[in-house]
Amino acid sequence: MANVDMIGIRKAFGASVALDDFTLNIASGELVCLLGPSGCGKTTALRILAGFEKADRGEVRVEGRDLANEPPEKRLFGMVFQDYSLFPNMTARQNIDFGLKVQKKSATERTSIIDRMIEVTALQEHADKFPHQMSGGQKQRVALARAIATSPRVLLLDEPLSALDAKVRETLRDEIRRLQLEIGVTTVFVTHDQHEALAIADRVGVMSNGRLEQLAPPRELYENPANAFVAGFIGTVNRLAAIGRSDGRWDILGRTVPGNRPAHEFITDVAAIRPEQLAIDPVTDGGASVVSVSFLGPITRVIIEDVQYGRVFADIISADASGLAPGQSVRVRLRDDVGEIVLIGEGE
Amino acid sequence: MSMESVTALAPGHGDPAGPPPIDRGRRGVRPSSFIRWAFLIMVALYFVVPMLAMARFAFQNVPTALLTPEKIFTGWSMSGLWAALTDPQILNAAKTSVLLVVFAIILNLVLLVPLAIVTEVRSPQLRPFLTAFTLLPWVIPPIALVVGVAATFRATVPWFLASVFSLVPFYALWAMPFTYRALDAGLQAISARTLYEAARSMGASLGTIIFRVLLPNMRASMIAASGLTAAMVLGEFAFASLLLKTTLPTQMVTYERSDPRGGLALALFVMLLTALSLGLVVRSLRRRGLNVQTTGL
Amino acid sequence: MRSLFRRENRLGLFVVAPFAAFVALFLIYPTLVVLYKAVTPGGTLGTDALQRALSGTYRTGFINSIALSGTSAIIGGIVGILLALTIKSLQRPRWLHSTLDSWSAVASQLGGVPLAFAFIATIGTQGILTKLLMNVGIDLKEYGVSATGFWGIVIVYLYFQIPLMFLVMMPAVSGLKETWREAAAIMGASPARYWRAVGIPILAPAALGGILLLFVNAFTAYATAYVLNSGGALVPLQIRFLLQGNVITGEEDLGNAIVAWVIALLLTSLLLMTLLQRRTLKWTSS
Repeated sequence: MANVDMIGIRKAFGASVALDDFTLNIASGELVCLLGPSGCGKTTALRILAGFEKADRGEVRVEGRDLANEPPEKRLFGMVFQDYSLFPNMTARQNIDFGLKVQKKSATERTSIIDRMIEVTALQEHADKFPHQMSGGQKQRVALARAIATSPRVLLLDEPLSALDAKVRETLRDEIRRLQLEIGVTTVFVTHDQHEALAIADRVGVMSNGRLEQLAPPRELYENPANAFVAGFIGTVNRLAAIGRSDGRWDILGRTVPGNRPAHEFITDVAAIRPEQLAIDPVTDGGASVVSVSFLGPITRVIIEDVQYGRVFADIISADASGLAPGQSVRVRLRDDVGEIVLIGEGE
Repeated sequence: MSMESVTALAPGHGDPAGPPPIDRGRRGVRPSSFIRWAFLIMVALYFVVPMLAMARFAFQNVPTALLTPEKIFTGWSMSGLWAALTDPQILNAAKTSVLLVVFAIILNLVLLVPLAIVTEVRSPQLRPFLTAFTLLPWVIPPIALVVGVAATFRATVPWFLASVFSLVPFYALWAMPFTYRALDAGLQAISARTLYEAARSMGASLGTIIFRVLLPNMRASMIAASGLTAAMVLGEFAFASLLLKTTLPTQMVTYERSDPRGGLALALFVMLLTALSLGLVVRSLRRRGLNVQTTGL
Repeated sequence: MRSLFRRENRLGLFVVAPFAAFVALFLIYPTLVVLYKAVTPGGTLGTDALQRALSGTYRTGFINSIALSGTSAIIGGIVGILLALTIKSLQRPRWLHSTLDSWSAVASQLGGVPLAFAFIATIGTQGILTKLLMNVGIDLKEYGVSATGFWGIVIVYLYFQIPLMFLVMMPAVSGLKETWREAAAIMGASPARYWRAVGIPILAPAALGGILLLFVNAFTAYATAYVLNSGGALVPLQIRFLLQGNVITGEEDLGNAIVAWVIALLLTSLLLMTLLQRRTLKWTSS
């Protein structure tokens, strides 16, 4: 088990900068998700950590030791790839065995490790199958078993679930987390799927354009996004104008509330309001009308056109939405239980 | 769950117009790139030197034997090529070969275009048979089939083998594998089956579909198949020579015996012409995303 | 097949029948006649001709042809594989791959008369390379290299063998995933170990299949061998002698028997080749 530090990493491919002053500290045994749209540099960060790419500048340290001159072979990491990357000429068992053989473990030790890996990944029926005889989910479980069989110091997962279909994705996601907690391995998990990241990570690092925008536990990321990008990338958000008051609070949607930064008189800022923080009153003079109503099970998503705020998304408990219909006049307001708003505007 | 499906609608959803996806696929600098280039250059030399030597040999102004080491880069002349290109027997042989090309292409397309279409849109169960068939010309090459032809047609219908055009069916036969492959690739590239079903559901007749929809879309593969057939026929020597027919390749060998310089000039000329047209066919097809299998396998 | 004969599919029959008849008449019928005659020399069933076809000078012919084809297939195969691997690893000049691809498609078809001429002009007795080297005091003949000898013919055949192997191998080599190499590396394996345990086993079926194809290709090459050395003891050239001299009784049976052996040899090689290719397809597409 090891703590990992990436310090001031810069990496450019020709003219395009993939990582710029990228710093990330991971505690031993922690699972960190790097989350971001494609091209944001998250995979480059992972590949620099693995040693497949060399950083132009900056350091990678594991347990405080600089890895600059260690090739991937010497790093004692484990890695799972998006395309499974199982050796097609080997059975599941032989794939898991590969790294153990390289480590020159004894035959009895190898057998016992393989058997345990097959058991924890529930691959008993598929142990002697070749990759082309297995489904995507089974292949990725073999890849996972193969990666952790060698007891790596750090486990790297490069979009391991994005080639799988929704149901398998969810099961395997939880399985990865369970295994990771069980063996306590420091893990970096790269994904573009926010639900995946929020569901399993200890901390999530949201990236864009080669920078780490925010690194925080999932809940904090959702409730208190550091900036507009993070707010927009995690979940759905309404960007609504808030008007400052002299007492430091903000006027928004008919209420006066404190914000994560104090207001001054006459300034406006953009507040990130989640759809579930809104309520709808069916009144005739509310200055807004319903555009569409989508039933999504427990909640109902209502899209409203407000004269003052423009298009607004609201998620309300389905039981309360039964009377709403497109064209209906309504009023949108901030729910009473919202104590503080998050401002994400460009500044003071 | 619900989030995912609506995220795209979100007003505040940041659309991070980042740089192009440079995330993956690159790797660090590799050593030994010197060795790779040295190897490539050696292979390139092997392929280029004989062509240059042939050109030097063909365009000299002295008889071959007099080409001493000192004079090896001086004294050029095109007379060998001119003599060969104006030789009446060569011209006759060339005319024969061009006609053989045309007939072989026509025969091939007449037999295979309908077959490829039917296989693709109506009877896919024929496909394994045709795939197996494409291996046959490799099993029974000209040098083997010529014995069979001698044992059968020469004995029973000698008049058939009297004409040089008796070569046409056999040439068509050896061109079939890559003709079929090219046509099949073309049909699959335009998803002929879907086109056919769509046109059918709109009430188009089979003839309309074939002539208005499928054939115009198959032009590229027909041109490719024709180019490959032409190259094959213009190069085929064994069958023609063993049946004692005069075609361009066999006449070229005869001509070279009397005038090595002119023979080589002509061979170079024909080879460059073939290579150039084949190259154009291959490249234009690659650009359309069609993969040509010149081996017919 | 059954659905072919349903009424609405009668069209299929109309299309298949001429093709089938054509192939049967010009390919299957002559071949079957040869095979039949090969096992019934002089009109009675017997293996006499088949045995004679593998004895004496014909035995030498088969041995020479197999040695020549095998040598050129193995050398051409190795160079072709190395070429494909090199091209895959050099991504830098983007034109390189497509140029070599097109060039190979062309060059693999360039057998025949002009090619033989080109090498006569290069390493023949009056060849340019021969003379140039003589200028600096190297006599190619002393090294046993002439366009008409065994190694000369091998060198000439390589001109179409290497591009053919490149074409056959490129899909398999492209199918080698970069992440396999990375997965092996992160598990601590050296590059040599990766090649031994993963790279070579994955390429092996395609490589063996390709070499078999090259073998078949060289075995049946006639024009090049004829122009370079028409009197050589190679199977295709011996067939020519038998074909032109078949007024002598019995010689015709011998020709049929040789062709029967050739077809058997080619058929075996190609069946093996397709089996190997099927395995490659399964591996590289999974």
